[in-house]
Amino acid sequence: MPSFIKALKSQVGRKYVTGITGVFLMLFLIGHLGGNLTIFAGVHTFNNYTHHLENLGPLLYVIELVLAFLFIYHAVLGISIARNRKKARPESYNVYKTKGGPSHQTLASRSMAITGVIILVFLVIHIWQFKFGFGEELARYTHEGVDLPQLRARVIEAFTNPVSAFGYAFVLAMIILHLSHGFWSAFTSLGMKHGETSKKVQAAAYVFAIVLMLGFMFIPLYIFFTGGDGSLISY
Amino acid sequence: MSKDFTVHLKYWRQNGPDAKGFFEERTLNTVNEHMSFLEMLDVLNEELQLEGKEPVEFDYDCREGICGCCNLVINGQAHGPKGGTPTCQVHMYNYKDGDTIVIEPPRAAAFPVIKDLVVDRSAFDRIIEAGGYVSVKTGSAEEANTHPVEKHKSDTAFDYATCIGCGACVAACPNASASLFTGAKIAHLGLMPQGEVERSKRVVAMVDQMEAEGFGDCSNFGECEAVCPQEISISAIAEMRKDYVKAVFS
Amino acid sequence: MKLDSKVPEGPLEEKWSEYKKNMKLVAPNNRRKYEVIIVGTGLAGGAAAASLAEMGYKVKSFCIQDSARRAHSIAAQGGINAAKNYPNDGDSIYRLFYDTIKGGDYRAREANVYRLAEVSNNIIDQAVAQGVPFAREYSGLLANRSFGGAQVSRTFYARGQTGQQLLLGAYQAMMRQVQEGGIEYYTRHEMLDVVMIDGQARGIVTRDLVSGEIKSFEADAVILATGGYGNVFYLSTNAKNSNATAAWRAHKKGALFANPCYVQVHPTCIPVSGDYQSKLTLMSESLRNDGRVWVPRKKGDDRHPNDIPEEERYYYLEERYPSFGNLVPRDVASRNAKMVCDDGLGVGETGLAVYLDFRDAIKRDGRDTISAKYGNLFDMYANITGENPYERPMRIYPAVHYTMGGLWVDYNLMTNIPGLFSAGEANFSDHGANRLGASALMQGLSDGYFVLPATIGNYLADVKPGTRYGTDHEEFKKAEAEAQAEIDKLLNIKGKRTIIDFHRTLGKIVWDKIGISRNKEGLEEAIKEIQALREEFWTNVFVPGDKNNYNKYLEYAFRLADYFELAELMAKDALQREESCGCHLREEYQTEEGEALRNDKDFAYVAAWEYQGVNGELKTTMHKEDLNFEFVELKQRSYK
Ligand SMILES: Cc1cc2nc3c(=O)[nH]c(=O)nc-3n(C[C@H](O)[C@H](O)[C@H](O)COP(=O)(O)OP(=O)(O)OC[C@H]3O[C@@H](n4cnc5c(N)ncnc54)[C@H](O)[C@@H]3O)c2cc1C
Ligand code: HEM
Ligand code: HEM
Ligand code: SF4
Ligand code: F3S
Ligand code: FES
Repeated sequence: MPSFIKALKSQVGRKYVTGITGVFLMLFLIGHLGGNLTIFAGVHTFNNYTHHLENLGPLLYVIELVLAFLFIYHAVLGISIARNRKKARPESYNVYKTKGGPSHQTLASRSMAITGVIILVFLVIHIWQFKFGFGEELARYTHEGVDLPQLRARVIEAFTNPVSAFGYAFVLAMIILHLSHGFWSAFTSLGMKHGETSKKVQAAAYVFAIVLMLGFMFIPLYIFFTGGDGSLISY
Repeated sequence: MSKDFTVHLKYWRQNGPDAKGFFEERTLNTVNEHMSFLEMLDVLNEELQLEGKEPVEFDYDCREGICGCCNLVINGQAHGPKGGTPTCQVHMYNYKDGDTIVIEPPRAAAFPVIKDLVVDRSAFDRIIEAGGYVSVKTGSAEEANTHPVEKHKSDTAFDYATCIGCGACVAACPNASASLFTGAKIAHLGLMPQGEVERSKRVVAMVDQMEAEGFGDCSNFGECEAVCPQEISISAIAEMRKDYVKAVFS
Repeated sequence: MKLDSKVPEGPLEEKWSEYKKNMKLVAPNNRRKYEVIIVGTGLAGGAAAASLAEMGYKVKSFCIQDSARRAHSIAAQGGINAAKNYPNDGDSIYRLFYDTIKGGDYRAREANVYRLAEVSNNIIDQAVAQGVPFAREYSGLLANRSFGGAQVSRTFYARGQTGQQLLLGAYQAMMRQVQEGGIEYYTRHEMLDVVMIDGQARGIVTRDLVSGEIKSFEADAVILATGGYGNVFYLSTNAKNSNATAAWRAHKKGALFANPCYVQVHPTCIPVSGDYQSKLTLMSESLRNDGRVWVPRKKGDDRHPNDIPEEERYYYLEERYPSFGNLVPRDVASRNAKMVCDDGLGVGETGLAVYLDFRDAIKRDGRDTISAKYGNLFDMYANITGENPYERPMRIYPAVHYTMGGLWVDYNLMTNIPGLFSAGEANFSDHGANRLGASALMQGLSDGYFVLPATIGNYLADVKPGTRYGTDHEEFKKAEAEAQAEIDKLLNIKGKRTIIDFHRTLGKIVWDKIGISRNKEGLEEAIKEIQALREEFWTNVFVPGDKNNYNKYLEYAFRLADYFELAELMAKDALQREESCGCHLREEYQTEEGEALRNDKDFAYVAAWEYQGVNGELKTTMHKEDLNFEFVELKQRSYK
């Protein structure tokens, strides 16, 4: 039987890996959304939450490394699959049209690589912005005897800026697109058969993508439209 | 008698694998709704020959939807506008007076053009060669009814086994992947008890070959199922992937 | 020439086992020293290639299509017979043998047919072992159905795609041998000639259909499994690339061609809709189980069929053959359809069609039941004609379907040329004057999987291993030069008429005068017309393109050239056979009720023709192989 490494490099293996990394990334997103929504749960909750994360110490690095690995592996495979397309069909059609019916060719599926790259670019900016504050040291304060990072303020401040707020909204829309195909596709990559279940999974994919992203989108848009210091958010 | 009508054709011309291809255009005034698509091309070729010109080459044999020779991409769709139908079973009543019809060969690096609309699909043979069979010696087979096979299993295997090897799945797949073709054979043989034994060996060899031939990856576009004249489900691809993982961990 | 069928002595049931007991063998380590060329990858050729390669012979396999899997056998729908007697309805090898001999109207060789019935069971075992997904019962055991008027259920099937599934089984077995190096595999190669050295078949000359290159291949034996010649008729149910070239070229080199006039016409095909028609599509005969065949009683009645009242409908099969009704055999159904159309009662735009009406069946069983039985056939009909057969009767017409004639072979499937074998539809062997449904698949696979593997060894045991003359031998060079010259000649005519036009015209002559029914006058006319058309072909055909590239029209022209000669031979054969038998109806020889009248006293023989050149006329001599029936009694058919 093939060695594990060879299997990972095969077409089927690669697809499994995009699927599996994709699933983990989705799980991360669920967690990340949960954490982020604590922004609305009182002044210190979010900061406390990030503080807990900080306290994980070396474990945090491990998690971050895993996360980086997932993103990079997923992205590298995704891009390589998309690039193989050109190799496998050097001369493209003059006219091309889907037949519809059982086809899953949609705007979403056709633009996975594009939405993916947008996500990737976004990530660099995003982490630079929130984790490294564009190079600015993160302010800290003490609450109930605990030393907390002023991350919530950073987020809120960021989203009062329209470029930031709408930029995020745009990227989140791209993620909706990515996931509306990706969710179903991952199941398929991992061996789901087709028929009734598959249709339900596709429906679930839309629900999942939209709910998750609306959740995310709520944050920048709410903050922006309430001017950063609206009623919910008070220091 | 039904009346003749006119279509504008735009078809691919290419004199050989390395020659540069181009589109040629021609208007055909004697199209009849009862004609099959290939008969329409016959008529085109008759006209061309009467003018002393070279006819357009296209591949066909059975003209009844089973040999898998005819695979043209018509207005951007492999095997034309109807689902579950190969090119030779598309009839001209699907078109109307004045329509423009663009005809291209199935395009894929693994299917080099031989001439005009004819391509070389021997890559499919080599995928089957890699393992798409049951290794049984002729003359030594046991009594046919020794192993009962559950009806639904055998019926499902049959669904996969109906692949006609036309290559439309490759032609339509945005990645030019041969996963449906390969998966269909793997699923067919894997579901029959006779094919069970060699399951792991088969899937690995066939997947390797598919890749070596230069077909693209599968991104689950499902377009292959939509154009497959036998309407083979992409569950075949799922079967292939499952078998592959089993092979790796066994 | 004395034709020796080489049928082994002894009782019928023991001939084949005795043969196998006594045949000469080639030792396994010697087998790889022998090369065998197999032309054709249908059921016969594919099965033979897989089996011989597996035994250790070096096989070279050739086909016209881009893959072995596309051979015309792929199109067979209905099923394959075997005497398994799974339904326990009294079937046996003897009964299958008897039905087949009788179905062939006693014009086949007893010993061959018995052997066919005998190995039929092994075919099913073999196919199942290859993973062929035959239809099964809920018990998981194999299902059977009855087919073509048989009184027992002995037909194995895989929905309407039996030929496809069996061929894919053989093809996959073949591809396994390609990988293991037992088979050298040449697709898109057309055989243009056989090459004989010292009176033995030693190789072939082919044209690479992609590059146009003429190439020779050498071997110790050559098998032609190149299918039937139904395409002489231009329109038939055969695939467009089916042709007679390989068999005809062998014939020109001295191989006898047997019974060319035995051509089967299938009664239930979708009718012709216009001149552009290129191909006829068969619909399963099973439709006649529930559909009723009729035409309007009044000539030129162009009312909608549903508006024609019962008493004005002529259910001609039911009226003429009350006990069999719509289920009369293929030849009877076809002949009657043509007769009513010739009388001007035909329906549809061309007047060449009869109705096959499901109205009563739908009323009786309900639309769902009918749809469950025939849904896919109805869909196919609707797709092709654009009409809905649930609401309007289908239109059907007979079409040429199978050719019983072919290269003459002995019990070993060897032609009269040593080392040249023929299998499947390409030979004349097992079907006599008429083929029963579901028996061609059986014959092809029997020849390929079981008969040839035994008989080839028996032949090769006498050939010195490693005998090689090299393809530079003058016989090869001569054959190559001839093939090249013919191609050049065709390309240089640069005439005014297209190839298809010639073929269409030839087809019309053959269909009208050597088709469903024949008479002396018509046959003599046909011969004259064919000769004249052949003459014109060689001076006025337009063959486009060049020879060093893919050129389907050049291939076509080359094949058509052979049809012109074969068509004349068919007419001559039909002319000499002054009797009606099986599919061959000579109008002069009918009973008072208009039924076929066989003449066993004078015509119980195989007519095997020897080619002697064409000079305006086809020169040919007939040799007879008398058919001796030791085990069955000859009976007149009656379907009244
Ligand atoms: C529509 C249809 C339905 C049928 N249904 C049934 C059925 O239900 N049951 C049944 O028993 N029979 C059926 N038959 C008959 C049966 O399918 C055929 O008789 C049988 O398959 C012939 O097999 P074969 O191997 O002899 O030849 P084929 O399958 O015709 O193969 C011929 C091979 O020879 C090759 N070849 C030909 N000429 C050359 C050349 N010059 N050079 C190189 N290669 C060449 C071709 O490429 C091909 O590979 C049906 C036939 C038709 C047309
Ligand atoms: C939050 C981040 C992301 C999530 C949750 C995610 C999720 C997914 C999922 C579930 C799939 C389906 C996997 C499969 O079909 O097997 C997928 C596919 C894909 N992803 Fe992502 N993805 C993310 C980020 C990215 C990034 C950063 C890129 C690239 C730059 C990318 C590129 C792709 C591509 C190209 C595919 C399609 C793969 C194919 O064609 O087979 N994704 N993604
Ligand atoms: C409104 C939306 C979002 C908000 C408010 C938000 C907020 C944050 C914040 C505050 C951090 C810094 C955490 C820290 O330094 O500990 C962070 C990190 C991160 N975010 Fe987001 N985020 C959002 C959307 C996203 C999306 C859509 C993705 C993925 C595609 C994403 C991926 C990440 C990653 C990978 C990190 C780095 C994690 C680490 O290094 O620990 N975020 N986010
Ligand atoms: S899977 Fe379908 S589309 Fe692909 S080769 Fe087979 S029949 Fe053609
Ligand atoms: S269209 Fe292509 S991407 Fe996969 S599902 Fe079909 S092979
Ligand atoms: S020509 Fe055979 S499938 Fe179309």
